[in-house]
Amino acid sequence: MNERVTPWQPTVIAGPKQALLVTPETAEMMIVKAKRPLMVVGPLINDNPAQVLVSKIAEKWNIPIVSTGDAFKSLTEAGVPSKSYGLVEIVNLLKDPEWKGVSGEGNHDLVLFIGVIYYMGSQGLSTLKHFAPHLKTLTLCKFFHSNADASFPNMKDEEWLKYLEKLAKID
Amino acid sequence: MENKSKAKELKDDFWKSKKLLVTTGKIADDIQEDSSESKGPTLKPSVTDLREWDMKLLERYTPFYAPFCDMCCLCTYGKCDLTGGKKGACGIDIEAQQARFVLLACCIGSAAHSGHARHLLEYLIEKKGENFPIDMGTNIDIEAPIMRVVMGKKPKTLGDLKDALDYLEEQMMHLLSACHTGQEGKSIDFESKALHAGLMDNLGKEIGDLAQIAALNMPKGEDAPLVELGMGTIDKEKPVVLCIGHNVAPGAGIVDYLEDQELEDDVEVCGICCAALDITRYNPGAKVVGPISKQLKFVRSGVADVVVVDEQCVRTDVLEEARKNQACVIATTDKICLGLPDLTDEDADKIVKQLVNDEIEGALILDPDKVGEVATRVALKISKDREALKKLPDLQEIQEMAKECNECGWCVRVCPNNQPMMEAVTSAVEGDFSKFQELYENDVCYTCGRCEQECEVNLPLISMLTKVGEHYTKDEKFNVRAGRGPVQDVEIRKVGAPIVLGDIPGVIAFVGCTNYPEGGEDVAKMAEEFLERNYIVVTSGCGAMSIGEYRDQEGNTLYERYSGDFDAKGLVNVGSCVSNAHIPGACIKIANIFAKKPLEGNFEEIADYILNRVGACGVAWGAYSQKAAAIATGINRWGIPVVVGPHGTKYRRLFLGRTDQPEKWKINDLRVGEVIDGEPAPEHLLYAAENREEATVVIAKLCIRPNDTSKGRQIKLNHYLDLHKKYFGTLPDDVVKFVRTEKDIPITYKKEVLKLLEEVGWEPRALPQEPSLMKFREEKASDKGDSK
Repeated sequence: MNERVTPWQPTVIAGPKQALLVTPETAEMMIVKAKRPLMVVGPLINDNPAQVLVSKIAEKWNIPIVSTGDAFKSLTEAGVPSKSYGLVEIVNLLKDPEWKGVSGEGNHDLVLFIGVIYYMGSQGLSTLKHFAPHLKTLTLCKFFHSNADASFPNMKDEEWLKYLEKLAKID
Repeated sequence: MENKSKAKELKDDFWKSKKLLVTTGKIADDIQEDSSESKGPTLKPSVTDLREWDMKLLERYTPFYAPFCDMCCLCTYGKCDLTGGKKGACGIDIEAQQARFVLLACCIGSAAHSGHARHLLEYLIEKKGENFPIDMGTNIDIEAPIMRVVMGKKPKTLGDLKDALDYLEEQMMHLLSACHTGQEGKSIDFESKALHAGLMDNLGKEIGDLAQIAALNMPKGEDAPLVELGMGTIDKEKPVVLCIGHNVAPGAGIVDYLEDQELEDDVEVCGICCAALDITRYNPGAKVVGPISKQLKFVRSGVADVVVVDEQCVRTDVLEEARKNQACVIATTDKICLGLPDLTDEDADKIVKQLVNDEIEGALILDPDKVGEVATRVALKISKDREALKKLPDLQEIQEMAKECNECGWCVRVCPNNQPMMEAVTSAVEGDFSKFQELYENDVCYTCGRCEQECEVNLPLISMLTKVGEHYTKDEKFNVRAGRGPVQDVEIRKVGAPIVLGDIPGVIAFVGCTNYPEGGEDVAKMAEEFLERNYIVVTSGCGAMSIGEYRDQEGNTLYERYSGDFDAKGLVNVGSCVSNAHIPGACIKIANIFAKKPLEGNFEEIADYILNRVGACGVAWGAYSQKAAAIATGINRWGIPVVVGPHGTKYRRLFLGRTDQPEKWKINDLRVGEVIDGEPAPEHLLYAAENREEATVVIAKLCIRPNDTSKGRQIKLNHYLDLHKKYFGTLPDDVVKFVRTEKDIPITYKKEVLKLLEEVGWEPRALPQEPSLMKFREEKASDKGDSK
């Protein structure tokens, strides 16, 4: 079994539909193609070196950030603007095609997740997999998320930060 | 409608009825039936009788599904793939399948509590007789608020409780049958049925706790003593009998036997999980080892000579684990037989001999009194020979074991919380045991043992953790207030008004299991936060124990710092899982005693009152079980919101409100006969928070109710804003939704809130006088006319 694409918590495997393994290059193509992307940032990013890269990625493509858990405080202190929602609240909104999105311009077509508690994120991704055919999900965590449409593989910190750096890099 | 349940009047009726029962019990029943004209519309509600109420809730709090599995594996057509909008061979879709699973979980949970209640009731009737009175003392007239509402009847004797159980069991059979392939087809109706299963769960718990309080003379709402809690409280020099589970009967049998034989000082009786709490309600001399998270740790520690298991939340490998250190196991209910020989009718001497001589691995004994004798005598006989197994280990031994680790990392990946077990092991190689210690304390590792199952080199990781933990915390002692049972009517009279008007900002109940994301301390810290802020904090079961395992900087537990009164700044431990019934029970009593709402057959009106006026919120931070699913769903049907921890998303369904849809928050003001703009209060009915910080803020918000007076709203908003500022650094944007007039704004935040109001073009709106989801009185009257 390829350990890079076995879900980080292996028992979250839900069925036949599995995420596509992506590199930073493929992730970039997905973002470029999206009309209204959104980034959901969870509290595991608090005090994490990845936080600055998250901010750069959002800035590079002008992606609005939703913070979950208590990530809002940490992001605000780092000068990164975000809108605070509970994880289940934002997923609940995202699954409604009629929702106007965080900017009021319509629901999002690509949602990037990073820093959400793994198993809870997996549940939220499952909701979107089943009930939000109008959008795609992409996870930027260092863990493979089988319930996403596309996911980075399982990685150690060093490789993961390189992935994020590539994605954040200004060409 | 005449209010038949006014506390004052009941007091008189109570004594009159008692006389009747002694001589002419049948006439007492007949009189109750004759008074049915004064009862509400939903006596003994069937599966569909409360469907209309459920639909009102589900319209506002739409089910949110997070499938745990993409397939259905229930019948031989399957497995069926339900992804991408596909339906299964029977026609079921993914939403309905999730809802079916929720119903199934609620049925299992409800059956566990009610099966427990049935066991207890039959046992207690056998001991005390059907006519044994249910006497809750002079401070409680409404002894069974849930039963009054659902059955329309006050139970006077143990025998009366059987009627309620019979009704409940019939309902449960119908609910379970709806899970069969080819029955219910819509998620929304599965949810209505799940809510009914939750209500049956509430009823079953009330029956169970009422029976044991009355027959075993447990505390009746009065202040209960502090009892010892913690692994360090157990005297290892003595023979130790450990009870695990929820049914007090075997534990009571042990306590009785010790008293009869005058052996109380010679044997340690202790417990894990709710059985422990209930034994201390029976006899405060017993000790509580701790919540369910202590189970594998304590069994592996070897301290228990005899392990007595009854029902619910017992590790299914308890026999194997106990035998590893030569402890004897006695199974005591039909729920858990463990493959052991049924020796219920065998002579006690013979059973003791067989167990002591290791002729049998353990015994199934379905007679609690015999369990008491056998467990005690076996512990007395084998304890001496087991002394070596109870000794603390040499840490060098752990260090040597740790060297075998190949650092594959799978112990971390399969851990439900991805706790750093591998780091603990690799540090131990260097003689640093601090990482193990961090996992051990506060049950950050709750010893599920999945890491051991995965370990490529078969390290006994939980044993290593246990032994390191014991080495450093062998003297760790805490306390918990013994379960006091129901909230007294006199307390409700005192706090009913301040709760409904908002002067007491809320009643928060910390209940449930120990599937915590970061250990038990989170629960204690949340309880501490709200106690300091004048809320009433109620607790039960494993949550109550987790709260007791936390000491502040001065070394005091929260039970030492706060009284057990149901009042502002009170920390009330109602007792075990079945005692959870007293939490909705208290809310029901508020509707009846304070607002004079009739109880009998009047579920919808009572639930509507609670939803709109009683600022209560349940918190099941470590919910793991089907019982917890049933508890939360039952609480929800009464209109009480519940917050679960992040693992709660695995229940597959939440009930979430949408604040961006103002039409969903319109309410009927029954006093003025108008539909008016409302507010998202409470915003959600079942919500999962990601961490303690988020949960704390959400809990404060979920205590807001449409009925709050401006003064009450100010108080509630003040706490919500304070906590949001503390954990999020700013004021919440949504505060504008909860300000009806400027008088609602907390003085401390007036300037900032006014600025936010200005930014959104806020306009003041009227405070509702009688907020409700129920129909206007004229509509109801017209409905009645139509039906005639």
